[in-house]
Amino acid sequence: MPEWMLDFFGYFVVIYSTLVISSYIAMAVLAFFEHKKHYTYHDDKYTIEELKKSPYTPGISIVAPAYNEEKTVITNVNSLLSLDYPDFEVVIVNDGSKDKTLELLIENFDLVKVPYAYVEKIKTKPFKGLYKTQSNNPAFKRLTVVDKVNGGTKADASNAGVNVVSNKFFVCTDVDCVLEKYALYRIIWPTMASTRRVIAVSATMRMSNGSIVEAGQMVETHPPHSLIPLFQDLEYTRSFLIGKSALSRINAMQNVSGGFGMFDREIVIKAGGYDGDSFAEDMDMVARMIRYMCDAGEDYRVVQIPETCCWTEGPPNFKVLNRQRTRWGRGLFQFFSVHKDMVWNRNYRQYGMLTLPYILIFELSAPVIEACGYLMVLWLFIEQAINYHTIWVAFLGLYIFAQLLTTVIVSYDLYVGTSFRRKRDYLWFALASMLEPLFYHPINVFFSLRGYWKHIWGTQMVWGNMTRKGVQSAKPKKEVPNA
Amino acid sequence: MEYYTLSRYAYLRYYVLILYYRLAEYPPVVRVWAIFSTLALILIVSILLGIILRAAKSSADLMIIANNRKRYYDHMKEVAMTPRALEPGEIVAMLHLPKNFKMKERQNRLLIPVMHELHQEIHGVMSRVNWQRMLQAFKMPAYFEEQVRSRSIRKRVVAFKDVIDLDANLKEAVASRYLFTKDRKLQIHARLHAARFGTSYPFKVLEEDPNLVFTDELVVKYHNVLVYRSQNGLTMPNFIRWCNRVPINEELRIFAVNEIRLFKRREDCAELLSMLENSRDERFSCAIIQALGDMDYVPAEKEFCRRYLSASFTERQVLAEALGRINSGSPEVLNFLVEDFQQTTDYVTRMRLLRVIYNYGRHGRDAFYQLKATCSPDYAIYFEHIECNLIDSRRYA
Repeated sequence: MPEWMLDFFGYFVVIYSTLVISSYIAMAVLAFFEHKKHYTYHDDKYTIEELKKSPYTPGISIVAPAYNEEKTVITNVNSLLSLDYPDFEVVIVNDGSKDKTLELLIENFDLVKVPYAYVEKIKTKPFKGLYKTQSNNPAFKRLTVVDKVNGGTKADASNAGVNVVSNKFFVCTDVDCVLEKYALYRIIWPTMASTRRVIAVSATMRMSNGSIVEAGQMVETHPPHSLIPLFQDLEYTRSFLIGKSALSRINAMQNVSGGFGMFDREIVIKAGGYDGDSFAEDMDMVARMIRYMCDAGEDYRVVQIPETCCWTEGPPNFKVLNRQRTRWGRGLFQFFSVHKDMVWNRNYRQYGMLTLPYILIFELSAPVIEACGYLMVLWLFIEQAINYHTIWVAFLGLYIFAQLLTTVIVSYDLYVGTSFRRKRDYLWFALASMLEPLFYHPINVFFSLRGYWKHIWGTQMVWGNMTRKGVQSAKPKKEVPNA
Repeated sequence: MEYYTLSRYAYLRYYVLILYYRLAEYPPVVRVWAIFSTLALILIVSILLGIILRAAKSSADLMIIANNRKRYYDHMKEVAMTPRALEPGEIVAMLHLPKNFKMKERQNRLLIPVMHELHQEIHGVMSRVNWQRMLQAFKMPAYFEEQVRSRSIRKRVVAFKDVIDLDANLKEAVASRYLFTKDRKLQIHARLHAARFGTSYPFKVLEEDPNLVFTDELVVKYHNVLVYRSQNGLTMPNFIRWCNRVPINEELRIFAVNEIRLFKRREDCAELLSMLENSRDERFSCAIIQALGDMDYVPAEKEFCRRYLSASFTERQVLAEALGRINSGSPEVLNFLVEDFQQTTDYVTRMRLLRVIYNYGRHGRDAFYQLKATCSPDYAIYFEHIECNLIDSRRYA
């Protein structure tokens, strides 16, 4: 290999790493100010009390698509129905399940098919019917089940849910997610407190593996005790408490998580709903909503709230992780091929000038650059050309910086008050943080590259089922919520 | 032999020099990385120390709160539940407080959660006089004043919230300093405090502030304040005056109309109707229509029908709903609704009209079935949808 190429790569890596570290430091500082503002002005109990007794509290619809979820659907729907909020409805979209998901719902909630005048505001696969309860239980009256032909994607099912919701705002979640009891109060508040129109709100999500759930409610939060969900929990916490909080501060949020996010229904419909062909449908949705608002010349906000509102089950093994990350990698690549006109485009404000270039340079390109780095180190090692006197300093610097970031997110987590039940549980985070750069990160680089490869060569991708182990339950029993 | 004592900064310099000279033969990039790693390590240690100190402090606080609950809760409850007005001396004796009782800031702060818990439990049945005197015995008003005057914005905001939560007494002069402060959130809390406890006319600031942004958060909070004032016999604002005299803030006018509706001020209906006739703003008109509909103001029907033909899409929906709510049984209105149903092509409006016709008394029900009998089979699902009482009526909007 020519020496100039080695020199060029060396300088490139130094500059790139410096930029990555600087961006992380800048985001950590911005996130601190965001959390400080939240800590100074926000009082959860006070907000809940105010909203509970007000007739002005807006209604919220929860849309949860379900596909072959017969093992968990009843517990999870009960969990959604037992949320605390004055005016909400739960819309479960049965996306043509091949198992007994729909039958179980009908049986457990005393549902009956009703004559419903369905209007396709967003195009979806054919609608089969809408079910409502005959029971006198007031909690069940909040439930609506939509049955439709399988569309093959979560996006199509979500769109069918959006077509039938009756409130101005809807929360999109997965049927396997465990929601915090007061999650709806927390997620609606930014839309009410902002002086600008809030089109989407994202809340912090964590892994439910290892935590204890009773009657569909999280009763004890613990970190996952197996490595892959633990790594993912650390990754999620870092992303929500530093990345998204910082971007929310400057109104440059890139994404509202598909696991738990709230959207303005009117803007979603005007933006065309979720794209069924997208592998990053949540990110694509936010981009199209922002595109619509900017093209219309309207002011908007996309907000991240620091409190944990939702727990989801992380991939339990490498096979599922591979599928998830390959899909994310492919989705990111696809996203940029669809929305490339927004990058460096002043019309799209912070999103076009800051967020998209940042993702392009530091998220989409990173796996390629890192993979080149690994190959280069391997080649140097074979050629016995590694300078061991200097490489350790660079490695130590990056490693210590990764530990610093973990310490910062633990402090933020404690600051915003969404901590684990036992403080010593954070030692698991420390463990994950020490192992992550050595094992987890290189594997994810490989999975992301696989996703890029599949997108470039147009390999057909099937939406695989997420293998669920289910959350730990303190008292396994059939629970019936009351309003 | 000479001994040198280094100061803390000299130690730091000495360390950096060692780091520099030990790595002097390395390229600058490596030296920068080494210094960066050291700084990162120092930060990690500092943050960890901070976390440990904070955790220790919060666990100590929790212990003090538990002690306070154990020591004062029952005595405080006894004082607050005594129906006759107790003398300050009696209260001190009942609380077992020493004669020259003083509390430190932290003790006051940690007593608030206990008081809040008690207030939540008994606020509907307690003696307000004794509650206020008990707060005096614990020197809470002085504590709140000190907090409101402190430099920390968080302390000020928390103090205002605590005063509201505990129905405490804070001098108006202290709170009024922040009524026009630049910090919007602090300003909101100061104004809410004034609106809740003000004895003269505390809503003047809303009328006089040209930069007022009346968000949904304020709508919720001010409504709760107004409910509190009406329950406690305090002066209420003249909503009609807000509708007429505050043209600078459209949101406030809409809020006033909604409050007329929620407080069922039927005496203002005639004036609202005359405002509707002259109104050009769609949101304001919709608020008035909704208010008149909710208060079953029958004289508004004629104006509603007149407006309907030239109204915008949103206003039409509200007008149809309002006509349905008034539900006077008037054949003219029913004919109007049926005619419009037959003429309109828009799905949402048709469904809404159909729902109104279906619920418009016995004649309305008859008209509904006549329409059903004459409609094409493609539209039969609309009628079945309306007839099905299991479907939420908002679902077609």
